[in-house]
Amino acid sequence: MKIKPLVIIILTALLFVTACTPAPAEQPANTSNQSETTVKEEKVEIVYWSVWTEPEPQAQVIAKWIEKFEAENPNITIKAVWNGRENQTKIRNAMTSGTTIDLMDLDADIVAGGLLMEGFGYPIDDLLTMTALDENVPLQDVFLPGMFDLHKVDGKVYLWPYVYNTIQFWYSGAAFDKAGVEKVPETWEEFIDAGLKLKEAGYDAIAMESTHVDFPMHFYTYLVERMKGTGFLLSAIEDKTGEMWRDPVFLEALKMERQMWETGIIPDEARGYVWPQGQQTLAVGQSAMELTGSWTPTELANSTPEDFGWGGFQFPAIEGGEGSINDLNAWLMSFMIMKDTKHPEQIKEFLRFIMTEENQKMMADEALVGVTRKNVDWSPVLADGQAAATNANEIFMHADGATAFHPEYYKNVLTFHHQPAFVGDISPEEFIENMVADSLKYWKTHDR
Amino acid sequence: MALNKKLAFFFLLPASAVYLLFFVLPAVWAIFIGFFDWSGFNNDMRFIGIDNYVQLIDDQVFIISLKNTLLILVIGAAIIFPLTFTLSSMINSGIRGKRLFRAMIFLPNVVATIALTTLWNFIYNTNFGLLRSFLQVLGLEKLSRTLWTAPENIFWAMLVGVIWINIGFQLILILAGMDKIPSEFFEAAKIEGAGQIKTFFLITLPLMWDVVTVSVVIWTISALKLFEFPFAFIGIYPPLQVHTLSIYLYIMGFGKRDPIYRLGYASAIGVILLLIVVITFLAIRRIMRREVYQY
Repeated sequence: MKIKPLVIIILTALLFVTACTPAPAEQPANTSNQSETTVKEEKVEIVYWSVWTEPEPQAQVIAKWIEKFEAENPNITIKAVWNGRENQTKIRNAMTSGTTIDLMDLDADIVAGGLLMEGFGYPIDDLLTMTALDENVPLQDVFLPGMFDLHKVDGKVYLWPYVYNTIQFWYSGAAFDKAGVEKVPETWEEFIDAGLKLKEAGYDAIAMESTHVDFPMHFYTYLVERMKGTGFLLSAIEDKTGEMWRDPVFLEALKMERQMWETGIIPDEARGYVWPQGQQTLAVGQSAMELTGSWTPTELANSTPEDFGWGGFQFPAIEGGEGSINDLNAWLMSFMIMKDTKHPEQIKEFLRFIMTEENQKMMADEALVGVTRKNVDWSPVLADGQAAATNANEIFMHADGATAFHPEYYKNVLTFHHQPAFVGDISPEEFIENMVADSLKYWKTHDR
Repeated sequence: MALNKKLAFFFLLPASAVYLLFFVLPAVWAIFIGFFDWSGFNNDMRFIGIDNYVQLIDDQVFIISLKNTLLILVIGAAIIFPLTFTLSSMINSGIRGKRLFRAMIFLPNVVATIALTTLWNFIYNTNFGLLRSFLQVLGLEKLSRTLWTAPENIFWAMLVGVIWINIGFQLILILAGMDKIPSEFFEAAKIEGAGQIKTFFLITLPLMWDVVTVSVVIWTISALKLFEFPFAFIGIYPPLQVHTLSIYLYIMGFGKRDPIYRLGYASAIGVILLLIVVITFLAIRRIMRREVYQY
């Protein structure tokens, strides 16, 4: 019988493919019950995959931390892989091919919605009660308020925050002075007044990255929070009937957003701003303030004149609202120990090490970012961010946690309708009707 | 002869194995996982039948991405091919510096896409962009204030950039097709009194139909799977108005900014995209089938 050549080729190719397929990696045993002696003596290599790229100042500080830690613990080597912002996706792909990763870091909300949600985190509650290396207090006491409130799973802590980004209004003191805005606004009415004064003085009061959905959502997150406190927006998102969107607060929040456009304190041409065009207008003195993260003053440090006068103020309170002006939207960069690591105790020692005042000060000074340890001064331009973090009444997540707990809803329902409503392409009333209808439709086919 | 055939098998085997491993098997695997709800973080794949495909029918973002992709295909073709033929005719008309013009028009194809998107962002910048300044110099003050990247315009702004890049590549193909036509045909046409338009439709186009077919196929595939330019055009996160099927597939399967990890759903989008490519390719072959002239 003559076997067709094509069959031979396919069979041989299949044989080749099978030979090349790696065997699944053995899942290492969880060896968390290690004595301190073992931690100090056992030679281990910790594989750390990082959200930072190597040239970034945060990566350079972490590299220094690693060098110092290894010098003090010669039995431990930490191998860093600088992946960048796609860290979680790369980790997922690597895990499926059997790569062992012991430690990772990322924006806490994103990890919460990914690896943590999928059960890949290692609980670190015992770390909170361990004594700090440089102070005779439990480690949890050296952190700023609320650092472990947001991302618990079943009451357990998995994330170790080390960089603190605050979402506030960052403004040009020079512009405020020129416009005669003598104090930062604390109420919505004062905020609109300040905006109008700035507009009269020739400024675009607010810089706006209109094409990026997260920036308009900062406003909506805060407006709903100020009126109804934390958790209300999330409740509406999770309401499977969609009817909770008919609560007047959601319509009112959109109308307040539109008020900024209608009064001209967000200029009409901001509809076309492509990130980072909005913050560039701040840097060149065209705009006066922006609702953005505390990374912005650092990003613009080389673009702004010396007399810029960076300042930050909290999102204003709303009269009769349940949220406090000291409630703060926080974006935390956090470490997470991976569930299947063989060296959890050694990694905990590293996490304990990075929280010393000296190491946190290094991150604050050299990377010019906010840090999560108390009483460590942030860079002067971020002083108002530090004050907000220190005095935070309550901290909450972007979109009240929608990005972490319901990322597909956030993208395909919430920002799908909020974006056109924010820029005025649909009315606030249409936004509400769309949210009711699409929430009902969404929850019929999704369980997350 | 028989020995040559046997040797051919063995020489084909490595390439076949690579093709099987990196193209065929992943495609089959993608079709398979399109029937599952799977995040990709573990082996927990839940069979859901055709639920992913049913959900796509009602998915507004998918519909918009599909619409954008088809608009890029059709409108892009409607602009690229007439422009390419026009430029080819001009370049082939005997002007000096033919190679220079050809190189300049092809240049975007050798520059990294991220650099090109940065350039176009600068061109469209509403404050100090090149286009605004140029229109102001021409005295078109009102037009200069157009918000090229506002939601109602951003798709078209992006499409201009895509067309600009692809014209160069298509030009090279079309020029090659034109160059192979013997000049005697054009001379004969000229003697017979044929004008430029008649010459183009009755001589140039029929004699390079095979090249045109290849160009159309290449553009079709390139347009349907377009990802880089629209993705990078808007910086950190592409807005809905520039979503293509490939971009939506990536967002749904690979956790771009928001931790959405639905590999099964993303695979279903990929299968739809594959079907569209195959159907379109077969349709093009059918529509453009005609007699090939030998010369």
